[in-house]
Amino acid sequence: MKLERSDRAPLWAFMTPALVLMLVFFVIPVIYVIVVSFLKWNGINTPAFVNFKNFMLLFRDRAFKRSVINNVIWALVAGFIQVPLAMLMAIILSRKPKGWKFFRTVYFFPQVISGIALATLWRAIYRADTGLLNALLNSVGLGHLAKDWLGTIETAFPAVLIYWVFYVGYYMVIMMADITTIDESYYEAATIDGASDFQQAIYITIPLIKKTSLLTCVTLASVMGLRQFEQVYMLTNGGPANSTSTIVLYMYKKLQDANYGMASASAVILIIVGVIFIVCIRKIFEGRNEEAAAAKKARRALQ
Amino acid sequence: MTASRVHGALRGKELILAILRWILIIFFAAYTLFPLIWLFISSLKTNFEFLSGSPFALPAVPQWINYTNALSVAGLGRMLLNSLFVGLCATVFNVIVASMGAYCISRFRFNGRERIFTLFTAGILVPLNALMVPYFVIINKLGLYNTYGGMILLYCAIGIPMSTFLIRGLMDSIPMELEEAAYIDGCGFYGRFFHIILPLSRTGIVTAATFEFLTCWNEFVFANLIVSSEKLRTIQVGIRYFTNQFSTDYVSMYAAIMISIIPSIIGYVLFQEQIIAGMTSGAVKG
Amino acid sequence: MKKLLSLLLVMIMIVALAVPAYAANDEIIINFPSVWVGTDSKAPYMAQLIENFNAENAGSIKVVVEEQSDYQAARDKLRTTITTGATPDLCIMDTTYDIKGYSEAGKFMDLTPYLEEGWGKDFADGAFDAWSVDGKVYALPFESAIFTPIYNTKIFADIGWDHFPATYDEFFQFCEDAKAKGYNAMGQMAGENAWSSMLWYSLIVEAIGGKDVYANGLQDPAFVQAAEVLKAMYDYTFEGAISAGAGDVNGHWLARDTAIYLNGPWWVANLYKEDNAVDGVLLADDCEVALNPTYEGGKGEGGLVTTVQAFLAAAKQDDPAKEAAVVKFLKYLTDPQHVSELALSSGAMFFVKYEPSPDTNLISQKLTEVANNAEFTILHVNGAFPTAVSTEFPAAVSALVLGEVDAQGFVDQLQLAIDMAE
Repeated sequence: MKLERSDRAPLWAFMTPALVLMLVFFVIPVIYVIVVSFLKWNGINTPAFVNFKNFMLLFRDRAFKRSVINNVIWALVAGFIQVPLAMLMAIILSRKPKGWKFFRTVYFFPQVISGIALATLWRAIYRADTGLLNALLNSVGLGHLAKDWLGTIETAFPAVLIYWVFYVGYYMVIMMADITTIDESYYEAATIDGASDFQQAIYITIPLIKKTSLLTCVTLASVMGLRQFEQVYMLTNGGPANSTSTIVLYMYKKLQDANYGMASASAVILIIVGVIFIVCIRKIFEGRNEEAAAAKKARRALQ
Repeated sequence: MTASRVHGALRGKELILAILRWILIIFFAAYTLFPLIWLFISSLKTNFEFLSGSPFALPAVPQWINYTNALSVAGLGRMLLNSLFVGLCATVFNVIVASMGAYCISRFRFNGRERIFTLFTAGILVPLNALMVPYFVIINKLGLYNTYGGMILLYCAIGIPMSTFLIRGLMDSIPMELEEAAYIDGCGFYGRFFHIILPLSRTGIVTAATFEFLTCWNEFVFANLIVSSEKLRTIQVGIRYFTNQFSTDYVSMYAAIMISIIPSIIGYVLFQEQIIAGMTSGAVKG
Repeated sequence: MKKLLSLLLVMIMIVALAVPAYAANDEIIINFPSVWVGTDSKAPYMAQLIENFNAENAGSIKVVVEEQSDYQAARDKLRTTITTGATPDLCIMDTTYDIKGYSEAGKFMDLTPYLEEGWGKDFADGAFDAWSVDGKVYALPFESAIFTPIYNTKIFADIGWDHFPATYDEFFQFCEDAKAKGYNAMGQMAGENAWSSMLWYSLIVEAIGGKDVYANGLQDPAFVQAAEVLKAMYDYTFEGAISAGAGDVNGHWLARDTAIYLNGPWWVANLYKEDNAVDGVLLADDCEVALNPTYEGGKGEGGLVTTVQAFLAAAKQDDPAKEAAVVKFLKYLTDPQHVSELALSSGAMFFVKYEPSPDTNLISQKLTEVANNAEFTILHVNGAFPTAVSTEFPAAVSALVLGEVDAQGFVDQLQLAIDMAE
């Protein structure tokens, strides 16, 4: 909508609260972080300007490189495996099978349970001696595969990542809310034409949520993947040998060391990586913008 | 005849799909319910059982005393109320401010609009742990250290990027035609916001509110940082009452976690009907 | 109805924003964030002590405890408050290495004049030497800890050993025997903060390097040798030690499948807990205190690994009345009689000289004996180096055990962590 003159004053009145909060709680603190990323400072001594030294140290540190790689993998898995899984469940439940309300509520539970509980449970599952996963493998005759899942470099990161991928409730709820707003008549028409549920999902549901809740969820999931901290912290604390470290965990450890300079520098890098991600995701989804619009138009013509 | 055979084949395929569908539904349900059940069972053990036995064994005698412990020793009752109060206030403020901001960004083209939105989105990325020092200073300078106000303001603020992002996403999908029609009918800026956009973006607002409330409910670092008085402590601080460097009381901690989960689950189940009502009365896509 | 509700909500919010947490009054408030709360073994007596103090000084001084049961969160908050100039009136510091930095930064009250008035005589001789800056004391070493193995005599008997190994050679023979009998010789953990492994490493470093092992940072060859020994120990611990945490180590020890346990004296109370008894026999009844084995060719004989578990420091005060109040409370807290009771109730050890209560349990008495007989002491590794070493330790030790790095690489990794922090 074009901005009318009469709208100008209320527009800024509406924007102001959000902008002020953003300024005070994000812009100024982030400027502080950027400034500190060029300093050598432990919080109590006099800060010294060290130019790009903190960034150079970061890129020379294997643990940090591992963290960046882990985060990128995490963001990709979140955006392109977790969200599609969530979408699948959203489509299934939005067809209202028996007990769908119950399941929708249940799927959301992990969001409500505190992270400590989930992490403790999964530690117990992955344990070497009394772990559930090893017991399961033993019982189906795959005992030779049993191992200390979180204590082996090759398996620790996949283990941390995989258990979490199946907690899809949050994204599912967002997409379900979107799907319920789709006009029922589309599906009715499609059913008359003999389209299967699967075809209906591919040709009606997905194109209609792509630009809205799907984009929202993919962006959100990727960002959450990049910001991942709590689960790793409680499950492995980045170990073994930093193989499960993430950028925020790395940053947190530098904060514990009172190495404010390097901690801030890693925060800056996280923000940069994140912005690249957000821009790329937007590009991917907007690339098919016209395609979707065309499909929508075609369907409208059919009606 | 051919037609009926096709029909039969379709039925067979649909049956397989239906079975697959139910396998998926039940797998995910089991997967999400398992932690809750395990947590509940663990919260009924003794520390000795929990530490030295199998983590998946049942307790010999259910230790309901862990719950009494959690409630009386750690004083969880007051903390629950604090969390509820802080969470609700922060959420209400948050979605009001965020939906006003999202409305402007979503519906109007003005200079710097995309830059402002990028700023908001980038805000989601900021690792808040890095901001402990500035946040502590800001809250202190505002004179809000150790107050409900400080917590509410901080939680409201740190959720703004996320909420704006979620609400804008939904507002974008509301057809422009609707608002334009209202504009022609002489409906002003506020009228369009309150009578058209706000009701239609209820789903997005509810999603954002849920997220914001859960963030408040599960937040610990800042709850500990900007509050010192026992009277203002929130539930996450209470859960950690039983952790200690060398002698964590695991089972009481699990009982505390169970207690902290129950209200949010009940709240969610009750609230959900509202969400559905909001959704079905919303716009129709097409 | 809806409008009424929302109006009500808004009003409640405004009231909430306006009402301060508590009203000010005339008495001096001492703000004391304490980790000795919750399930900590010192919590019950500390609470009583503070209550008594407040009662005795009702109307003039009030100590307000801010409960900080999560150690890491407590550290984070303490650092943030000190950095931003909002140092709490009284604080408990456990980052040994950093204590001098804080003292030099001028954030803390100079306690020297008060100590010189005679208060200082309550503390162990030379307690302040290592921590004073230009001869001034800014942080009182309060809680001490020693680290020496405790072993399960019943398991030892079952394995066929009637004494604790005196040398590390003998120690590994014992480990072999224990393994053959299906026991874990000791608990190791490379998960969480790798606490147990850090302690074992400190013991080995002491046994090899002796008194002056920290004199040249990580340059002493003892660090590399000790890393080899630590790695070898992982063959004799329980399965999954790489990802294990403190809960796992304690769990195995409590389950009586591990022969040797290593932790600070605060853990002794758990040995006497009814909850941890099996068939009515307390774990303590099967426990014996041992000495760190010696290492062939090592310089560690007669040495003991210790640490300053907690310092007490106070914020610099402008108001002399408040300064006097803080000092009054500090003196109350470190009063030998009070410390004696604190030691009795918690099992912890202190730098304050006190008459031990006759009710002290047997294990604690033996630990005190070990402490008194030590010819020299060194700090544990976490205490002797910057925090960066304790942060990096879990990653380094898991890399070492998994063969990602060799013993030299392990030490290099720790050194790199120090370099990055400095």
